[in-house]
Amino acid sequence: MTLPVFLSHQWLSFWRGRNANKSLALQIIVGVFYFLIFLEIAALGVALPFLLKETMPGKDPVAIFTSYIIYYFLVGLLVRFQLQELPSLSIQPYLAQNIRRKNMLRFLNVRSLVHVINFLPLFVFIPFTLAVVAPAKGGIAAGCFIIAMFALVINNHFLNMYIKRKSFNSSWWFFSIILIIAIFKGFDYFKIISFEKASANIFTALLNHPWLCILPVALAITTFLLNNSYLRNHLYIEELVSESKLKVSKNYAFLNRYGDMGEIIALDLKLIFRNKRPRSLVILSAVILLYGFIFYPTYLKTQNFSALFFFALLIIGIFISNYGQFLFAWQSSHFDGMMSYNINMKQYIKAKFLLFVTVCTLQFLIASFYGLMSWRVLPIQLAAFLYSIGINSFATIYATTFNYKYLDLRKSASLNFQGIGAVQWFQTFLILLAPWLVFFLLNKFIGFWVAIISISALGVIGLAFNEMIINWLVRQFNIRKHKILEGFRER
Amino acid sequence: MISIKNLKKSYKGINAVDIDSLEIHAGEIIGLVGNNGAGKTTFFRLLLDLIRSNEGEILSKGNSVTLTEEWKSYTAAYIDEGFLIDYLTPEEYFYFVGKLNLLSKADVDDFLQGYQLFFDDAILNKGKYIRDFSKGNQFKIGIIAALLTDPELLILDEPFANLDPTTQLRLVDMIKKMARDKSMCIIVSSHDINHVSEVSSRILLMEKGKIIKDIAGGEAAYGEMVEYFKVR
Repeated sequence: MTLPVFLSHQWLSFWRGRNANKSLALQIIVGVFYFLIFLEIAALGVALPFLLKETMPGKDPVAIFTSYIIYYFLVGLLVRFQLQELPSLSIQPYLAQNIRRKNMLRFLNVRSLVHVINFLPLFVFIPFTLAVVAPAKGGIAAGCFIIAMFALVINNHFLNMYIKRKSFNSSWWFFSIILIIAIFKGFDYFKIISFEKASANIFTALLNHPWLCILPVALAITTFLLNNSYLRNHLYIEELVSESKLKVSKNYAFLNRYGDMGEIIALDLKLIFRNKRPRSLVILSAVILLYGFIFYPTYLKTQNFSALFFFALLIIGIFISNYGQFLFAWQSSHFDGMMSYNINMKQYIKAKFLLFVTVCTLQFLIASFYGLMSWRVLPIQLAAFLYSIGINSFATIYATTFNYKYLDLRKSASLNFQGIGAVQWFQTFLILLAPWLVFFLLNKFIGFWVAIISISALGVIGLAFNEMIINWLVRQFNIRKHKILEGFRER
Repeated sequence: MISIKNLKKSYKGINAVDIDSLEIHAGEIIGLVGNNGAGKTTFFRLLLDLIRSNEGEILSKGNSVTLTEEWKSYTAAYIDEGFLIDYLTPEEYFYFVGKLNLLSKADVDDFLQGYQLFFDDAILNKGKYIRDFSKGNQFKIGIIAALLTDPELLILDEPFANLDPTTQLRLVDMIKKMARDKSMCIIVSSHDINHVSEVSSRILLMEKGKIIKDIAGGEAAYGEMVEYFKVR
């Protein structure tokens, strides 16, 4: 009875949220984005049997499919850690009302289930089952297969909720699951124990004996009950929100010698490490460092150096454009303070620039290991590096003086469009595409080295004139300072 | 210290602040009173150059607060949580603010030692970030961080509203002592006319952005304010 009321409140809170009605255009873009993802995943489900047949001819698509299910669920658990948040806080206003605990529990459970990640897998499993399993094994087996898959999705869901609720250290869990996947994959690769075969055996048995689907259903019910009983006994806000550890004060001694600038950089570092959203952006930057393994070999083989340059720019410059697009907005909750403390604006902007240079240099040094693939990578990455710190860093600071949107640091970054406006989309494209276009044209019509030297020269010029550029940026900032402050105060 | 001529700030055609002329001198304790929407906080933000005025300007020691940054080195303020860096521990925050004003860690520790009573053992070494403190304790942190820099101009917005009675009384004493010993200029806004009339040497009463009364603090001021607020 109360459940529909709860859910309708959630619906209202979604549509009336601070950022919901701000920009219709953005809503539409995000909507289209989601729709495309759904479409692609559904298409994958339909096309999967054909793809499997084509890439691995002569093998049974069902056997291949089932052999990967175990990995699918392990990876799914990883993704859930990142994307799913506990809906605990949404019951806070109801706790003191005349509502039975049972109803509150039901709401928490149902509310948590409403998440894209629980529906997406069905778009793969259902088309695949209908197209491949049903003709081969019959209707009942297919139906039971879908039930089993859905039960496993639900099991994953409540397992993730339970782990998060028990306030286990979630990053520890995250990495141990990565380790498990790596070990499984390693055993498979060196043919010690085949987990793929085990997975195939389990799910083939399921197809041959459809009644076995009660096992995953029982598993799902068990995790649900586990979760439920935990919730029932801990229906206090302070127990639902994961317990906080003792926080320690930190001092970055190596930054002390830079005076006020060092202090501002230290502040940025603390901001990154202590808040969810910037932290996940940094993790993303680290993951993108691995892109080289995926993209470099192909482009080296095809001698497509401008494409390689594009990815070098992405790998080395991702922190600047990711962190930089909200450069001031990260501090939006205390920007009134930042503007009243005894901080000289030039020092402030310079500190941001130094932060960019430091992180970018680090990324560049790590990425230099790609030079082992081919020496060609090195000049390309050097050009990307010089351009990133000499031009992109300043361009990003300039663009972010137009960002007037408040940002909540504690929300997760994945699929979070808070604080993003048309400017940010435009900026991200421009910062990556403009240098790529220059490189592409020079490389195509004049030559590889001319392209490398021109791009590098642009970066070096930017660095050489950094004093002038920073002074100009301070003036630009001061022009829009009050507008930024006003925007940040609007939460 | 502060000199204002013809200052105007309006939102959607309604005047939030409209001050023809105002001089504030060193050593004065200004109590700013007025009902909600009188323009007190807007006035404070204008003083700190956090919003741009439509007309007129504010001179701090003769320099415009919009065009120069000099005032930042001798001005400290606490208006709301927007001044706290909430992912720092209180200690880190104090060291940060201290460092910006050339105070070493030891200086800051010494200073904090003197405010043990004010903190009531609820702030330091608690192993919490500022965002995890209660509102009252956040307010204490903000006020102490503002005092830490030993400013010549101190601005506090409704400091009494979020504090417990004991701390309120301590703050009244602290403000009086600072103005007397260091000839600081202090501007305090409050809804508590009792505290304001006790602490202030001069009271400015605001209504719809205008300063409609400019009177000396003390018993008589209290009576005059009671008269004003009763009628409304």
